[in-house]
Amino acid sequence: MKKSSFHILRVGMAITFLWIGILIFKNPEAWGGFVQPWVVDLLPMSLTDAMMGTAVLDIVIGALLLVDILTPWAALVGAGHLLIVLLVSGINDVTVRDIAIFTGAFALFNDSLPEAMRVKLMFWKKKVSN
Amino acid sequence: MTAFALLFTLSAIGISETVYLIRTRKHHEHPVCPIGEGCEVVLDSKYNHTFGIQNDILGLLAYIALAFITAFLVIGIEPINFWSVGMKIIVGMASLVSIFFTYLQAKVIHAWCFWCLMSAFTIWLMGIIIVWSQFI
Repeated sequence: MKKSSFHILRVGMAITFLWIGILIFKNPEAWGGFVQPWVVDLLPMSLTDAMMGTAVLDIVIGALLLVDILTPWAALVGAGHLLIVLLVSGINDVTVRDIAIFTGAFALFNDSLPEAMRVKLMFWKKKVSN
Repeated sequence: MTAFALLFTLSAIGISETVYLIRTRKHHEHPVCPIGEGCEVVLDSKYNHTFGIQNDILGLLAYIALAFITAFLVIGIEPINFWSVGMKIIVGMASLVSIFFTYLQAKVIHAWCFWCLMSAFTIWLMGIIIVWSQFI
């Protein structure tokens, strides 16, 4: 990815995560409405508390992406978080946006992965295939 | 809510931009200058600090304050009036400072810095959005 494209994607993703975090803080109950009933039954805490935790996670991911600190790990956690969101919210009108955010976060992770870590992963992949 | 979304987006862009400038300065690098070639001239000039503090740090603090205030206003954290007035004061002061810095680039330094202009346009746009939101 071109360096400028990477930074445009990084800042865009950061704003998305930060803004969603703020909106969840504003109204956690409404955002909790997206969570499937079977997931609510599995939660060890109230849905509101779980949504507040989600808001904090979104804001931390967004802040790290915005200031370009620990970017690969923030992007990886962001992508994982979006996978969980896709799992627990089911298919609805906003699923397509979640897919876009997930792929964007994963692209950021893939592009910002340090070379040393990439080499390690390739070595591990070869070891597994042998 | 639309105005707040735009104000928060612009604050976040300002944060990322000033963090980039601070990082390049700390690493003794020159920032990429996408348009024009005057970034180094402006950023290394004697006008790069105000009251002993680097302008990029002052900008970062202003943008962080604006991002937090916008978030407080969206979430509804009291006292709403205090945050609202605070935001207008910060954007108003930053707009005036940006006019002065743009004048310095045009008439004193005789060089244009892409990042400084981007920051100026960001803060002016925030001012326009605040004024606009009063009428709709």
